[in-house]
Amino acid sequence: MKDSYTLKSLATLLENNKISSKELTSEYLKNIERGKELNCYNTVSKEKALIDAEKSDERRKNQNLRSKFDGIPIGIKDLFCTKGVTTTASSKILSNFVPNYESTVTQKCDDAGLISLGKLNCDEFAMGSTNKTSFFGPVMNPWKSVNSNNKLVPGGSSGGSAAAVSGDLCVASLGTDTGGSIRQPASFTGTVGLKPSYGRVSRWGIVAFASSLDQAGPITKTVEDAAIFLDIISGHDEKDSTSSVNPKENYYENLNPDIKGMKIGIPKEFRSDKLPASTQKSWDECADLLKTNGAEILDISLPYTMSALPAYYIIAPAEASSNLARYDGVRYGLRVKGNNLIDMYEKTRSEGFGDEVKRRILIGTYVLSSGYYDAYYIKAQKIRSLIKSDYVEAFKKVDAILTPSTPSTAFEIANEPSDPVQNYLNDIFTVPVNLAGLPGISIPFTNDENNLPIGLQLITNSFEEQKLLNVARNIEKTINYSETPEKWWLK
Amino acid sequence: MEFDKKSLLKLGKLARISISDDKLNNLSQDLNSILEFVDQLKEIRTDQVDPTSNSLNQKLEVRDDKVENKNSTEDVLENAPEKEMNFFVVPKVIE
Repeated sequence: MKDSYTLKSLATLLENNKISSKELTSEYLKNIERGKELNCYNTVSKEKALIDAEKSDERRKNQNLRSKFDGIPIGIKDLFCTKGVTTTASSKILSNFVPNYESTVTQKCDDAGLISLGKLNCDEFAMGSTNKTSFFGPVMNPWKSVNSNNKLVPGGSSGGSAAAVSGDLCVASLGTDTGGSIRQPASFTGTVGLKPSYGRVSRWGIVAFASSLDQAGPITKTVEDAAIFLDIISGHDEKDSTSSVNPKENYYENLNPDIKGMKIGIPKEFRSDKLPASTQKSWDECADLLKTNGAEILDISLPYTMSALPAYYIIAPAEASSNLARYDGVRYGLRVKGNNLIDMYEKTRSEGFGDEVKRRILIGTYVLSSGYYDAYYIKAQKIRSLIKSDYVEAFKKVDAILTPSTPSTAFEIANEPSDPVQNYLNDIFTVPVNLAGLPGISIPFTNDENNLPIGLQLITNSFEEQKLLNVARNIEKTINYSETPEKWWLK
Repeated sequence: MEFDKKSLLKLGKLARISISDDKLNNLSQDLNSILEFVDQLKEIRTDQVDPTSNSLNQKLEVRDDKVENKNSTEDVLENAPEKEMNFFVVPKVIE
């Protein structure tokens, strides 16, 4: 398989009959089989994918294509409900759940003729930054440090989605991002991860974590592919009352890497002595590059940046505790027998949820409980207003903001800190974007001294995805990042 | 506030999650660590600030009140762990 496969290049290959959808799908299914050790997929829809691919080839023959991308196989985070295909959210409590409806986003993929290869592993209920909280075990990062043979985390929660794209177990994938769950794993795996503005993509049919923050988006090999994929999945959906009525744009068609005269902000609050030197260097180099390409670089201030993470760890658990109240062993999912109704609830939830999910439900229940609601939950929502106004002020001065995506590159699976708060710090650069509802993208910039990818994050104002993609494309075009991991799992 | 054994068990009751004795220590340590982390927000003055519950500045839309034939009884019951006739079955509840 060629590493240069992208949504764009595959569309051309299919169009010129250089390859059929069935051949392509078989090729990826073979890669998935050979890459089992990476543990990217919770479910592989082998038979369904091959049947769908045949149907796509049939449509191509009859010139009855659903889109230019008809017949291209993708992977789907196991958080999107897919009709007739097990949807687990990587949790024991949903391990037997087979939805009888299709999420809006995956329906849109199907409407475009994309083929689903299966459901991708993630942190349980999307809660985590390492993919280690999955009931189905951790995902391995396709990348390894040159100095060690130890396995690395792919990041999370969309760890399977990012690792699968990076390791060629699909050409592009769907993820979700509540506090960095698309951008952080993209940064750890040398892929492009786009979190759209809150409301740009429908949340209908996605297993809910924190409803005011959750947003679906693509993980791809290139910025061009991110634009293509956003075209496919975005738009208003009457089934999601928080879906925006703002008209979507033709992101790919209008992709324009010209950034002359644009103003790019560098927020001083994101600077830290703890940032690895190589990440700081990449950040500086990228700013220089944008300047060379015609943009103006401005120092800006986002004063409440450091309050974002604590506010997030009140708001997200609060919403999660409410959303996850539905898992009670009555209507779907796991049921553990109890002596009475309450005992059944407690046993089901105790056995069905993993430790991190339980921690968050308990914290969420606490901050919403009588006597603490104002001191924690309302307080955090007020901080959220302050964070949002930071960005409102900043975007009066600049078009886009450039930051690192993560405070480190991928780390060893065995080295995950045992203190949950230490783990939460992984999302320190990505969380503010969710609280403010903004679009953000992580793009690979270079590799560090251990040959591990360094990701940089761009942020624009709400619904300015086009501008975001344009700046990202400018960087991509200039640096032409083309590093790929050595496929150790094939040996 | 610190989570001790008693307050943790009460919280477990509220969240309908039973917590076994062997997990109590670690869990209270974890939750205290998280609480200590979020407590730093207390330093910030917010008397004059309105809370934001959702970042989208959009009014909720009104849709036509049309009858739609979605979610049949069969669909709704399809994934039920235990069902009988057209009902979810739960352990007997006696008040």
